[in-house]
Amino acid sequence: MKSSHGRSRQQTAFAVCAAVLVLLVSLAGCVEHRADTIVIGSKNFPEQALLGEILAQHIEARTHLRVERRFYLAGSYICQQAMLAGRIDAYVEYTGTALTAILKDPIESDPAGVFAKVQSEYKQRFHFDVLPSLGFNNTFAIVIRGEDARNLHISKLSEAAPYARNWRAGFGYEFMERPDGYPGLARVYGLQFASTPRILDLGLLYRALLEKQVDLVAGNSTDGLIAARDLAILADDKHYFPPYEAVPIVREDTFARHPEVRGAIAELAGRISDAEMQKMNYAVAGEDRDTAEVAREFLHAQGLE
Amino acid sequence: MNTLSFFSQHSGEILQGTLEHIWLVASTMALAVAIGVPLGIVVARHPWLSKPILGSANMAETIPSLALLGFLLPAPWLGDRADRVAITALTLYALLPIIRNTAAGITGVDPAVREAARGMGMTPRQILFQVELPLSLSTVLAGIRVATVLTIGVATIAAAVGAGGLGEFIFRGLAMVNNRLILAGAIPAAALALLADFILSVLERRLRPAR
Amino acid sequence: MTNPSAGAPEAIIEFRDAGYRLADGQELLRGLNLTVRRSETLVLLGRSGAGKTTAMKLINRLHEPTAGQVLIEGRSTLDWDPIALRRHIGYVIQETGLFPHYTVEQNISLVPRLENWPPGRIRARAQELLALVGLDAAQFLPRYPHELSGGQRQRVGVARALAADPPILLMDEPFGALDPLTRVEIRREFLALQQRLQKTIVIVTHDTSEALLLGTRIGLMESGELKGLYAPKDFLRSGEPIATAYAQQIRDLEQFERGL
Repeated sequence: MKSSHGRSRQQTAFAVCAAVLVLLVSLAGCVEHRADTIVIGSKNFPEQALLGEILAQHIEARTHLRVERRFYLAGSYICQQAMLAGRIDAYVEYTGTALTAILKDPIESDPAGVFAKVQSEYKQRFHFDVLPSLGFNNTFAIVIRGEDARNLHISKLSEAAPYARNWRAGFGYEFMERPDGYPGLARVYGLQFASTPRILDLGLLYRALLEKQVDLVAGNSTDGLIAARDLAILADDKHYFPPYEAVPIVREDTFARHPEVRGAIAELAGRISDAEMQKMNYAVAGEDRDTAEVAREFLHAQGLE
Repeated sequence: MNTLSFFSQHSGEILQGTLEHIWLVASTMALAVAIGVPLGIVVARHPWLSKPILGSANMAETIPSLALLGFLLPAPWLGDRADRVAITALTLYALLPIIRNTAAGITGVDPAVREAARGMGMTPRQILFQVELPLSLSTVLAGIRVATVLTIGVATIAAAVGAGGLGEFIFRGLAMVNNRLILAGAIPAAALALLADFILSVLERRLRPAR
Repeated sequence: MTNPSAGAPEAIIEFRDAGYRLADGQELLRGLNLTVRRSETLVLLGRSGAGKTTAMKLINRLHEPTAGQVLIEGRSTLDWDPIALRRHIGYVIQETGLFPHYTVEQNISLVPRLENWPPGRIRARAQELLALVGLDAAQFLPRYPHELSGGQRQRVGVARALAADPPILLMDEPFGALDPLTRVEIRREFLALQQRLQKTIVIVTHDTSEALLLGTRIGLMESGELKGLYAPKDFLRSGEPIATAYAQQIRDLEQFERGL
């Protein structure tokens, strides 16, 4: 039956709309990376950007692939979602965070055990490969002034108990509240301080320590200032703090598409010590240097180009 | 490096972000129309339902978008994938304009036309599909246009919970204090909204029945 | 759509003590007893609110009687399938209610299309009907309602009502919205149409001259009741106020003409 003008105009308009919508959805849905590109992500603090940059530069040097950087994603959840959706191919996570925040398992303190659990569950649940640690453990660090460590001849937390009575401690709010923070620490090592620990802004902890307003702080083991100033970490010999080893996490199918990436990342395993990481963090955060440059310097120094 | 050269250097990423964004919006609109238009018809047919249905949609709209996304994150199947959370929240947001306009469009049909249709022996279903919907198309489309532009905007917030899209550039740019990165997200998002508004307005005008 | 006529074959429409009351208790129609015979044109005359439209809507079941019953071709409206009943009856209203998004052709051919007539037959019928109501098919079939004048629209409305050739036609103030000149013209044409088609017609109007011109019988309605049933020639002498007022109007007009 013949349709008249208005009717068929409506129908054409509809058809066009529907076609455009279908086109858009399917086009957007099958967004593929360009065949020779992979995407490295990172969380939103300088250490993460450094690690991402190191990974990216090394892959670019060792393979013919182009690496896209998607740094400063807002956190573990965002990175995990980006991995699941295939928007990034890899990023560096910390084993303790992977265990508790992503896998939602209870925290443990045995580094090997944690790594094994994370590796097997990530493989099973998400089809992600967890690669061996880059060499450092970004966990909580109990830090005292270097001179005190030398004068008292202490290097381990278990040696600290007798002196704690004379010290004032400074902690961030979170460390005070977390069950695996101050309360557990005091219990495990029998630490009793001269008075209740002061709660300080994270950015001011080290300054307060250096200016002798406090004698002991809880920071992160890879904080840049630890290397730059005369500070010492008391070793967690009773393994109270959970492990937060830095491990590259890569999508299984990224390795399937580009097997050469596995070899490139493997060369980085164990290369970055706590001290090395501290130095690089200080260069970027403390000396305001360019992340890519610091990363390049590190790779060059390691003979890895 | 000025903004223009930044854009051209990162054109691949920006295009990908734009496509991700479009996919979020398109999926949302498909769902919102599929749910909202029938609900609008129900409200038009049974005015007593307008309060509960429009009231709920209004309530969803009133919750701040970030809060709504936050509410949905702990949900069992939804929270596992950020794009599910995002599309669910975005759909809830898009419902109100669509339901409201569909209901208004249908009740706005000339009562004489409706009476003539009924009196001539059209079934309620025939009246709906051959008279009421075609005559309210322009109004319904106006609702879809509002909802689409709204969705394009709120979808930028969805990046905060990991759904990707153009908002991700904005959040990353904020964290890195990099204005060009922020613009790489903001400008395409604004352009998308303007384009969608323009295209749908043209369509709306075309489909308006001449009086 | 076929329906075996039971009872009196001449009584196409029959009101038996029919009444209609709203949900809030307001009674719009009370105790209506009336028969409309085949091929007659019954005019329901009265002021607004007299219950004429209500009575008419009981015929095509747009209202259902809350008291008594209404029989169409011998069967109660409640026993008919409402859709089938309405397609069996042509319906013309004052505002016409043409679909603005349909052309004249699509509007006219609505019921035939709903009844799945073959396309060729539909086209032919549309052309035939336009000719019947005095409009040029080639010119008007592709036009939209908003492109037509009031009179043209009304004619299309009538054509639409007649499209499936229903035996019964209902018209609710069909010419009320037209200017006086067009009204006169269209009434005259309608008379001619009536003669040709011989349908059973019920017209609702408040216009006495229309009632006198078009009706074979006039039913006077007031306050929800049928006050009287008259042949047109008996109506003016009936003594009813509305008739008397009309007669006076005619006398005044004659006087005016003599004075000129």
